[in-house]
Amino acid sequence: MIARDVLLAMLPEHLLLLGIVLLLVMEIAGIARRGSLAVALATVLAAVVAAARLSFDGYAAAPFAGHFSVDAATLLAKALVLALALPVLLMSREEFEGVEFPALLLSSLYGVGLMLSADSFLTLFLGLEIMSLPVYVLVLLAYRRPQSAEAALKYLVLGGTSTAMLLMGVSLLYGGTGSMDIAVFARALGSDDPMARAAAVLVILALFLKGAIVPFHAWAPDAYEGASVPVTAYMAVVVKAGVLLAAVRVFGPARLATPMLELVVVLPLASIVWGNLAAMRQPSLRRMVAYSSIAHAGYLFYALLGAPEGRLQAVTFYLLAYGVLNLLLFAALPPAVDDGERDRLDNLKGLFQRSPFAALMIGCAMLSLAGIPPFPGFVAKFLIFKNVIAAGYTTYAVLGLVGSYLGIYFYLRVIQVMFMSVDAPLAAEPLRRHALGASLACITIALLVAVFPGWVIARL
Amino acid sequence: MSDALVLNLVLFLPLLGAAALLLSPAGRDDLTRHMTLGVMLLQFALCTWLYLRFDSSVAGLQFETRLPWIESWGVHYQIGLDGYNILLVMLTAFLAPLVTASAFSAITKDVKLFYAMVFLIQFAMMGAFLAQDLFLFYVFWETMLIPLFLMIGIWGGERRIYATFKFFLYTAFGSILMLAAVIFLVYSLQNTSGVTSFAFSDLVKARLPLNVQGWLLAAFTLSFAIKVPMVPLHTWLPDAHVEAPTAGSVILAGVLLKMGTYGFMKLGFPLFPDATLLFTPWLMTLAVVSIVYGACLALVQDDIKKIIAYSSISHLGYVMLGLLSLDLIGIQGALIQMVSHGLVAAGLFLMVGMIYERCHTRELAAYGGLAKLLPVYSVFFMILTLASVGLPTTSGFTGEFLALLGAFKAAWPQYQAGQTLPLVLAAVAVSGVVLGALYMLRFALGFLYGAAKAPHQPLRDLNGREKTILALIVVAVFALGLFPDEPMRKTELAAKAYQQLVTTSRLPRRRRADPRSLGGRKPPAATRRLPLGVAAPQAQCVLAGSTP
Repeated sequence: MIARDVLLAMLPEHLLLLGIVLLLVMEIAGIARRGSLAVALATVLAAVVAAARLSFDGYAAAPFAGHFSVDAATLLAKALVLALALPVLLMSREEFEGVEFPALLLSSLYGVGLMLSADSFLTLFLGLEIMSLPVYVLVLLAYRRPQSAEAALKYLVLGGTSTAMLLMGVSLLYGGTGSMDIAVFARALGSDDPMARAAAVLVILALFLKGAIVPFHAWAPDAYEGASVPVTAYMAVVVKAGVLLAAVRVFGPARLATPMLELVVVLPLASIVWGNLAAMRQPSLRRMVAYSSIAHAGYLFYALLGAPEGRLQAVTFYLLAYGVLNLLLFAALPPAVDDGERDRLDNLKGLFQRSPFAALMIGCAMLSLAGIPPFPGFVAKFLIFKNVIAAGYTTYAVLGLVGSYLGIYFYLRVIQVMFMSVDAPLAAEPLRRHALGASLACITIALLVAVFPGWVIARL
Repeated sequence: MSDALVLNLVLFLPLLGAAALLLSPAGRDDLTRHMTLGVMLLQFALCTWLYLRFDSSVAGLQFETRLPWIESWGVHYQIGLDGYNILLVMLTAFLAPLVTASAFSAITKDVKLFYAMVFLIQFAMMGAFLAQDLFLFYVFWETMLIPLFLMIGIWGGERRIYATFKFFLYTAFGSILMLAAVIFLVYSLQNTSGVTSFAFSDLVKARLPLNVQGWLLAAFTLSFAIKVPMVPLHTWLPDAHVEAPTAGSVILAGVLLKMGTYGFMKLGFPLFPDATLLFTPWLMTLAVVSIVYGACLALVQDDIKKIIAYSSISHLGYVMLGLLSLDLIGIQGALIQMVSHGLVAAGLFLMVGMIYERCHTRELAAYGGLAKLLPVYSVFFMILTLASVGLPTTSGFTGEFLALLGAFKAAWPQYQAGQTLPLVLAAVAVSGVVLGALYMLRFALGFLYGAAKAPHQPLRDLNGREKTILALIVVAVFALGLFPDEPMRKTELAAKAYQQLVTTSRLPRRRRADPRSLGGRKPPAATRRLPLGVAAPQAQCVLAGSTP
């Protein structure tokens, strides 16, 4: 019985583990060059299918009671986050050969899986670290550029700070209650005890740091820029998704009250405003996406203001819309001789003339990230702010919406560069099959979500 | 085929057209042009069919489609024709083939993308007029900006980037606050009546305290007033008009600006009748200021596109005046004026585009005596000028006259009751007619008469395509001027319904209910002052984030 639950409940994780082992064996056997990508794709796909299948069956179990549990909603969120890694793998084809990238990616995904099912801070911590450590290495993989070492180091140090804060918070919680249970946090949030409060603040700040919320955001632009494109996409989408879903899990059924409420409003609001303002001045797309993702982290943390029942749905839908369109942006990005030059905004000049498809895809991604209808980003933003207003925080919602308005300018600027430049160089882009496949998959999902948002929401 | 299906086809034809363009072979520009024209003509034919089938003795929606879209939120895909939108839908469908044909020679760069944008704008505009669900309306309302942003930005003039960003950012700012208001409105409805719905028909039943109505109307007003545009929110319009390609200007002036007045009539005022009453003196003043100020600005412009752009601000002031008069004649006049301005301004922009294609300048001083150089052009130009001035027998007269008549009819009893402001405003608005004659005739005089000069000689007169386009507009202008009663019959019931909705108070009923029954909201927190300095008695403060 227990053995069956251990097998089934962790089936996605087991599959990932199997994939990692297989990849390493292939590396040893010297056949990794060709097949590693296919193996990684098949592994992630199998994990997605397993998680989705279990979710549709309404499977719920707690194989390690108090530490790890799954239910239908968690499994669906897990399936979604794992699925977001598929286009990343497809994109990596042009950048990386060999086993390093897929193996590290799968390890990181394993951490994401653990984190999304964590019932105790022990599991959460393990998941967070297993997710983060491979990403430090992934950033470093673009070692041909000197910036990448700097970026990886910055990321490592600040990631370490986050870990330290989390551990400090958790030890305080443990000291006060003698329990590692994640539900302790929800109680600490509403408590008047200074130690519990300090613990709650530390845990929240650790999550903010991982999610790149102002003022803990400084690592993000450097890390995003220093990494190669697929890694940036992975950080912007999957890592962010993991952290946010973990945050929803940690907050659990807690309703926010003063003074924690202000903490969870003010810093995300500052992120929305600052992220959008700073993004206007970035010369490179990856830095811009970094600031944009800082703003989006702000919207996502806003979801915590809503009623506890609706949080997971709102965050998952938002991550779906945000993730798919962000991946579309990276997948459609035209290649360049020098990876660092690949996403200078100037490099996109007149892209519509050279490669209409790529320009249209990036345009859709930009408009959706700006939250303009009819793109899925709008429904996602609507859902979050709907919950915030329904919970009674109209003023905060209006401030957040006005903050989101500030972002429109720089998203439009990318479109301007692609479509409205006069001196466009005229050289057709070569067809890139894997990236094209990733783009097509993303745009199809985006269109489906845009046309049938009701269907998707009803299932989350 | 059922008529509801035809209406859906009308809406989705442009989208299908855009998809077809996406898949069509590259480099066949003429094929693209003719296919677009064909689709637009088909759409107009279907609209005409529906117009003829429209039963003017039925109040409310006809040819309705209602399907669940986002069920858990109460959002529906709901479209239909009624007296509010039928004329505007006809106008939109009528102008589309003309816009398409007018761009045949003007647009030579990225033809496929251009017509795809025309299709998308058409789709979004139709959708915004037909939508009967606030969420759907908002989606179309915002979607509209994207293709127009690209159109101005790609095919516009010198300062197109500046103009198109200004256009987008201005209108998006209004929309973002409207979005907050939309969500809040739906939640208020849910809390007071237990109905979760975005349908207009449900939302107009919402009973809200005066201060809430005031805030929500303020948000809606900001969004709609930017679109109309009303002074002082008008500054995006001249830039967008001047820099846009002819087709963009025509779409902007012809249809897009009506989106604002339509929004006021369909949504803003009927949803918040008590706040509307409170805001009326202010909005009416702004409308009259728009009429006079727009006319004054038009009087001093050197750029011929700018003259027409500022004249639009002035002409749409009459629409607002008519709508705010709450007099049946005034409301009907406003509706006719919307269509009339759509035709006349579109025609004038088309004519400016035609001369620009020949001479590549919009300086008024560069032209003179065109009556000798371009006789056919000048005849059309004179007719449209007179229609813009409001000469009897043209549509401009019908609209402006009825709107002003309504304003006076409404103002007189108020004057007798001791309120002078409405009467003064109506009187000042009349001066706009005189100013209108002044600036249009100054324009025509310099343009058509005097010593013959033009930057590019010899000029060839209008070709068959251009003549057809203008002839159709002129016919429509006279038809609406001579026989306005037929379209007015179609809108009469809607005008009455609008009048009824706005003049019936919808404050919450006075009953001391248990606060829990209102969805758990806390009892009134504080008395708030409205932004206009009017104290709101028994106001419930639910707007502040401090409620819970």
